[in-house]
Amino acid sequence: MEDSSFILHSNKQGYKMTWIGTIKNKKILTFLLKTLSFLAILFLLDFSIGSILKYFYKKQKSGVLYRATYSIDSTKADILIFGASRANHHYVPGIFENRIHMSCYNTGRDGETILYNYAILKCALKRYSPKIAILDFSREEFVKTPDNYDRLSALLPYYKDHPEIRSIVQLRSPYEKYKLLSKIYPYNSLIFSIAIGATKLNTSREYIKDENGYVPLPEIWDKQPDIDTVFIKNELDSNTIKLFESFIKDCIKSRVKPYIILSPVFIKYIYKDQSVNIALSIAKKYHIPMYNFLNDSTFLNHDSLFADAGHLNNDGAKVFTNKLIDTILQKGQNIAGN
Amino acid sequence: MLFTSIIYFLFLGSSLIVYYLIPVKYRNYFLIAASAFFYMYVKIDYIFLIIFIILANYWVGIQIEKSKTRNNKLIYLNLSLLINLGILIFFKYWNFLIENIFEILGWFHFDSQGPLPILNIVLPLGLSFYIFQTIGYTIDIYRGSIKAEKNIFRFSLFTLFFPKLLVGPIERANRFLPQLQKKIYFEKENIIEGGKRIARGLFKKLVVADRISIYHTAVITSLSDQSGSTILFATILYTFQIYADFSGYTDIALGTARLFGFDLMENFKQPLLAKNVSDFWRRWHISLSSWVNDYIFNPIALKRRNWSNWGVFYALLISFVVIGIWHGASWNYVLFGILQALALMYETLTKKARKKISKRIHPSIYKYSSIFLTFLFVTFSLIIFQSATLSDAWSIINGIFSNHGELYYNSPSTLIFMLAGCGMMLLYDIQVEFKISQFSFLANKNWGTQQACYALLLIYILIAGVFDGGQFIYFAF
Repeated sequence: MEDSSFILHSNKQGYKMTWIGTIKNKKILTFLLKTLSFLAILFLLDFSIGSILKYFYKKQKSGVLYRATYSIDSTKADILIFGASRANHHYVPGIFENRIHMSCYNTGRDGETILYNYAILKCALKRYSPKIAILDFSREEFVKTPDNYDRLSALLPYYKDHPEIRSIVQLRSPYEKYKLLSKIYPYNSLIFSIAIGATKLNTSREYIKDENGYVPLPEIWDKQPDIDTVFIKNELDSNTIKLFESFIKDCIKSRVKPYIILSPVFIKYIYKDQSVNIALSIAKKYHIPMYNFLNDSTFLNHDSLFADAGHLNNDGAKVFTNKLIDTILQKGQNIAGN
Repeated sequence: MLFTSIIYFLFLGSSLIVYYLIPVKYRNYFLIAASAFFYMYVKIDYIFLIIFIILANYWVGIQIEKSKTRNNKLIYLNLSLLINLGILIFFKYWNFLIENIFEILGWFHFDSQGPLPILNIVLPLGLSFYIFQTIGYTIDIYRGSIKAEKNIFRFSLFTLFFPKLLVGPIERANRFLPQLQKKIYFEKENIIEGGKRIARGLFKKLVVADRISIYHTAVITSLSDQSGSTILFATILYTFQIYADFSGYTDIALGTARLFGFDLMENFKQPLLAKNVSDFWRRWHISLSSWVNDYIFNPIALKRRNWSNWGVFYALLISFVVIGIWHGASWNYVLFGILQALALMYETLTKKARKKISKRIHPSIYKYSSIFLTFLFVTFSLIIFQSATLSDAWSIINGIFSNHGELYYNSPSTLIFMLAGCGMMLLYDIQVEFKISQFSFLANKNWGTQQACYALLLIYILIAGVFDGGQFIYFAF
């Protein structure tokens, strides 16, 4: 046992072993070599599998991964829609294009928050300046929840090639940059989506089909609206508030006209929301229009416009998009701020 | 400091380097310091409690041994029980006791004046584990089966050793204290085997438990919207989840201890392949079930041996209520324990009848149907275990039979990841249980094959693991 120790200690014979003496020991050398070869195998596997995943990730032609890549790397649309699932399912780019005669792309992604939206904006601004940025804002947007940071994993595949989003990704954890030394880690849990996304099977799946990023929901909700009567004071996340303000500031700096929108849900709210109040004050500070369609009777009285309590269906999205454009025009705004 | 976090591996790596760099005689002292740091990293205040427990039990242990008469020994043992159980009850069961006492008093129209004396205290992590360990230590000295540890540092490390501090295993003094007396030198086998064990633990936790946890939580928190088949599927998956979570933690704990040259006791032996409920409890959380067997079941059964079967039943009931309530101050855990006790009583009563049946059926059919039925029972009892209240448990059971509809899964990949993880974990257990060496990858005799398999295992963790997962379920206990 003692001859395999590489540490300074007295053995039974009373002499001291040294590092050098130990390294010469054949068993230890074999052990170190085997450990190194194991690490080398691990590194090679990580590098090669990670590279393959990256290749196929970038080859996506449809689906949520493709839309993220397109939003980050390619879109040059005049109007960009930002937000979570409501953004993605409520804003119809075709209607903007027909009525305002500007190209439009919907970058909204289910479950994401301002953390993700700001990263997408930064990537877009690095390439060009869109004319309009519409940010769909949710009640409780600024509430502190670890899920918001977990969902930033959507940005991991872009971490290496987009230095502008690194500070946002690192909000996930101070160790994120070390995890990202692995080539596979950015594609964690995505192997099946990547495999399917690179085939024609993906485009045949109805529910992922999009129109310039917009994914219509076909279902019809047939329930009474929920009434939210409870006021809950939640802990707020200063990072999200800060990034919301940065979103507006960056837009102004790049001469992009920002609009903050609260789109309809099938819930009647009694109390004002902390996050909405903060967003309102920030919008006011920068003279940014903020339109609230929550509790709007056009939608709240028509369950046929909803797919579920939180989302408009395709018909509802068309009505809403038209109403939003009408509102902007009625308010006498020069829509692109020119 | 989660066992799956980067900070833990930084701590482990640096501790390991220092441990093997310093002279042998200082290594235990270093481990005490590292363990104290590990515990304080969780919450600094806890260290004072554990220091008190160490000092009290160290002193009581010596006093029990020194005492000349049985009576005096008993006095010191009772003092030890009073201290240990007093602390445990105060931190873990106080609010539960008060609420239930006043509930019962309410039945007799006794209304408390003012608010109940409910305490706003946080259960120190690992308390249930190290309290049971120190109780076992003092009982063993009282019984004369071990000598009291005279070296305070060794006793401190026995209690504090960080791999087992938070979620066990509940070590026995006669196993672990002798290991602390040995001089431990660097051995490559310890590093290799410890590393492999940690890799297997990470797989169970990150790939299986945390993956299922996302699905299970989504289903259980929206029961009214879920179909019966979905609830049933989530319920079955929970059995895999809790096994993967706890045994994954244990694997990392045992692997970590092995890196430092220590062997902690096994806590799991393929429990999902148990052939009956008593077999299950010989394979599941072994350190707790064997502790209860030695310190509660056997003494009671022995004392009530003239009651025949009733004595065994009585001992079973007490033992499993203790096992149940050990998990937490809630009636669902008590009911969970009672269910286990009832199953074991049934098995005791039907032992002969079952043996007769087994002779009439093909052995393989009998064996596999026994495994299947035991799995079903365990899954059913875990419905009660996972529910905060009995009405929650009823909602799950009711939902399984009354809500009709399709199986929910948010994407096919969720389903594939969960089933692949469970399948791989189960295959490993089957291979160990039935000693199928030709399909052994992780224990392959060829060095290259084995290393390649472990490398692939780590790669698979990177591909399919959940790195934003939560705490280990057993942290709550």
